[in-house]
Amino acid sequence: MLRDAALSAEAIPGETARDRPRAGAMASRRAGALAPYWQAAPMALVFLLFFVLPLLVTLIVSFWNYTEYSIEPAFTLDNYREVFDGCLADLPGLCTTFKTYLSTLKFCLIVWASTLLIGFTVAYFLAFHVRTMTMQIVLFLLCTIPFWTSNVIRMISWIPLLGRNGLINQALVGTGLAGSPQEWLLYSDFSVVLAFVHLYTLFMVVPIFNSMMRIDRALVEAAYDSGASGWQTLWNVVIPLSKPGIAIGSIFVITIVMGDFVTIGVMGGQQIASIGKIINVQVNYLQFPIAAANAVVLLVLVLLIIWALTRMIDIRKEL
Amino acid sequence: MREARPASFYALALFFGLFVLFLYGPMITILVLSFQGPQGGLTFPLNGLSLHWFGSLWNGIGVIDIGAALRRSLWLGVVVMLLTVVISVMAGLAFRRRFRGAALLFYVAIASLIMPSIVVSLGIALEFRILDDSIKALGDAWEIEAVQRGYTTAMGLFTSGLGAHLSWTLPFGLLIMFAVFNRFDRRYEEAARDLGATPWQSFRHVVLPIVAPSLIGIALFGFTLSWDEVARSSQALGSRNTLPLELRGLTTTVTTPVIYALGTVTTGISMTVIGICLALAMMVQRRRRRQGTDAGRGML
Amino acid sequence: MTKNISTGGMSRRTVLKGSAALAGLAGTGFASSFPAPAVHAQEAVTLRYLGTAVNQSADIARKAKEDIGVTIEYIPVETDEVAKRVITQPNSFDLLDSEYFSLPKLLPSGNLQGMDAGKIKYAGQIATVFTKGEVEGKKIGDQGTAPKKVFYLEGQFSKKFSAEPTEWITLIPTTYNADTLGIRPDLIKRPIESWAELVNPEFKGKAAILNIPSIGIMDAAMVVEALGKYKYPDKGNMTKEEIDLTTDFLKEAKKAGQFRAFWSDFNESVNLMASGEVVIQSMWSPAVTAVRSKGIPCTYQPLKEGYRGWASGFGLPKTLEGRKLDAAYEFINWFLSGWAGAYLNRQGYYSAVLSTAKENMEPYEWAYWMEGKPAEKDIHAPDGTLLEKAGTVRDGGSYEDRMGAIACWNSVMDENTYMIRKWNEFIAA
Repeated sequence: MLRDAALSAEAIPGETARDRPRAGAMASRRAGALAPYWQAAPMALVFLLFFVLPLLVTLIVSFWNYTEYSIEPAFTLDNYREVFDGCLADLPGLCTTFKTYLSTLKFCLIVWASTLLIGFTVAYFLAFHVRTMTMQIVLFLLCTIPFWTSNVIRMISWIPLLGRNGLINQALVGTGLAGSPQEWLLYSDFSVVLAFVHLYTLFMVVPIFNSMMRIDRALVEAAYDSGASGWQTLWNVVIPLSKPGIAIGSIFVITIVMGDFVTIGVMGGQQIASIGKIINVQVNYLQFPIAAANAVVLLVLVLLIIWALTRMIDIRKEL
Repeated sequence: MREARPASFYALALFFGLFVLFLYGPMITILVLSFQGPQGGLTFPLNGLSLHWFGSLWNGIGVIDIGAALRRSLWLGVVVMLLTVVISVMAGLAFRRRFRGAALLFYVAIASLIMPSIVVSLGIALEFRILDDSIKALGDAWEIEAVQRGYTTAMGLFTSGLGAHLSWTLPFGLLIMFAVFNRFDRRYEEAARDLGATPWQSFRHVVLPIVAPSLIGIALFGFTLSWDEVARSSQALGSRNTLPLELRGLTTTVTTPVIYALGTVTTGISMTVIGICLALAMMVQRRRRRQGTDAGRGML
Repeated sequence: MTKNISTGGMSRRTVLKGSAALAGLAGTGFASSFPAPAVHAQEAVTLRYLGTAVNQSADIARKAKEDIGVTIEYIPVETDEVAKRVITQPNSFDLLDSEYFSLPKLLPSGNLQGMDAGKIKYAGQIATVFTKGEVEGKKIGDQGTAPKKVFYLEGQFSKKFSAEPTEWITLIPTTYNADTLGIRPDLIKRPIESWAELVNPEFKGKAAILNIPSIGIMDAAMVVEALGKYKYPDKGNMTKEEIDLTTDFLKEAKKAGQFRAFWSDFNESVNLMASGEVVIQSMWSPAVTAVRSKGIPCTYQPLKEGYRGWASGFGLPKTLEGRKLDAAYEFINWFLSGWAGAYLNRQGYYSAVLSTAKENMEPYEWAYWMEGKPAEKDIHAPDGTLLEKAGTVRDGGSYEDRMGAIACWNSVMDENTYMIRKWNEFIAA
């Protein structure tokens, strides 16, 4: 079913095949002209109430005042000023906000590169090297099963492995590979990236695999027949044709990492900042307006990244 | 006729094997550690082998009623699942024809899918905070006793929580419906109509049976996405938390392997749900094959 | 328990509620978030008890049910979340268990009511730490939000604290203690005497600090003073410059890799200590007890600069009335009457009314926990776990030694918003 989700992610309504009404059906068509509206209404309502409106409220509240126990309607730019407090004064040094975004972007980049590399390789193996459909499905399911278990559980399951007295350190010290337990394994950038890769590589595998399955095998054969090496075929045929999958996977991974605070919190020993975590802390202290201002900034940044991605790869054209 | 495997196959197969090990390794650790003896701690080595921690899980962890959280999450998951299926199918039907705002609705759905969850969650929390403040202000202004004395919050599992989950599951449902109707052969429906079926009859007796297997897919997505949702619920729930949120709390507050036992149990539940869904889908497929129609195949 | 039953009964209604809200009938959904009206007078009363998990014991709830027939339904959340709930969802609980330091933040919201001292049987016997800021007649440190500063209200629904005793009490103390550094003596292997050791490079990567700003900043201030870097006129109410100085100091330590992790729940500190990830950190007394009951050595280290005090207590939401209000008073009176006090003392806390707790403890227990004398017999936790062998002396000694040496209290400062911002920067640094 995962395949279908990704597959359908490429189906944009403009392109959806629509049969022209035929003469016999014309009458009932006209009677049901209103049908699409009430059929689409529940979904529109849910998105209005729980997506569009909340975003609007966030935008509005980001201009409000607050005290320790209330939020008050106003129009002030103080919250934004506070978000970027000292950002100009500290130049060329970095203020907290820039540092936090930089750190979040750093994680984004590392995780994106890792998941892309691993995800592409796994998808390539499944799509081009596994020969029977049944085997493909079995191996694919094998990869998806861990996806269905709780993220939180999958995260904390690393702790007994990576801790100062964890399995890996015991093995390292036991075999003499390391003189003393390695501390960078847990509560570090490393453990955060590891957990992200562990949790989200599948988001890359699925769309890329799906794109690859749609590549006409004759093209690959043709490339080989014209004397292209394996690498050349990969670079000039497979990768360009997998681009839509790569783009979709990238958007997923990047947006998840940008907004994350749970993984970074748990795996980073609560001492690595992320923009999501800052928002979370501010909400806990009831500083809603400044949290909203942070959210708006984050939103703008994410939209910019997605915009850039769709610039680089024109998804609609690729389809 | 089999060609010899190229060398790259073995390298890639090894890579794939390592990837699977990487996926499963930590889960296996948890599974093993959940069978710690009563004196066991959170880390290796195993200190005896027992079902002790499953027992203490059953008796409840500290003051948190994990059973209640589990039931809450199950209920919410089921409601989200049903609503996701119904709303997605309806919207899927709508998108088969032109209507004003179709493109807008589609892009909103996509935006909802890729928006950082913390932003959506915060937005919903704010929306409800303002609603609460307004209701309280109204209650005070008009001296409505019930509001002044009894009103807590409109936020809750089945108001803000449900909405937050739907904003996450519906885009998936809609996308699956696109895939379904893209491959849907309209002639069946037209045949039904030509034979005098009302729109409802043709939907009920023709369209629905054909798309049924995909609905199981949507249901599965709806349930599992809700069952494991953390980021979007994090700010948007009232006083009662869902299981994954309680779990997140527990990771920091539990000092015994009971947390691993809990992990094993919740994993078991997820697997069971997937198993049931897959079995159902296979049954539908098989029955269909016996009856000799190939409509709607390949959806699951 | 009752919770299970009510969940079963709720489900259909809650489902309906959900679908109603979805259908856009928002009003219906909200209406059902009001509690069901007309609770029969004879029905057993259930009190929703909001507080941190640390103070919520299933044993106390069970005993209360037995003794006075009041059902306690715990709502366990983190320290900061308690304050958030009081402010944003004032009717979601019937009994509040909050730290005193939150009061300057909670009271202006107008969501709490003063407690009638006349209805509290043991009001006159509450420890002098609260009423006068004294231990055995000796003044103790009052920097920060000392309980005596926020103990009385000017009137029942007043938003102002009274410096003089009145008949309206903000919070009736549940538990309190003096915090200090907890250490792993087996891994440190030398005496620790000063708060300054928290940032000693010797423990690089093995120290931890609390991620609750109101508490963490006080720990940091103790360290800064211990190092002789700065002497605060009032640690508990820093100026912006002093906040900058303190958080800059923390940032430096963090950059140098001093800290292994930050924690915000006491069990987290137990895990960090027990797993050996951390060997020195500011700890709460029962956390040390919890580590030790796993058979892992852990010392609650008295330090020459003194302790950081904390206290929490019961408060009542403004709208509580009728049967529930009576039940709340009844429960609080029961809580102060000894059984619960003895239970808490055996966990390493101190209880509000010492005389009644003493009646409920064995003389050898009292001597060990409160008088700082060597244990005559083995000391057991309330659940029967062996805590100490006969002959040991409690870390830090007697009640008087410990509470008397308090240097400052957890605190909400005038510049709290600024402090939280700077604290966030520290976490982000």
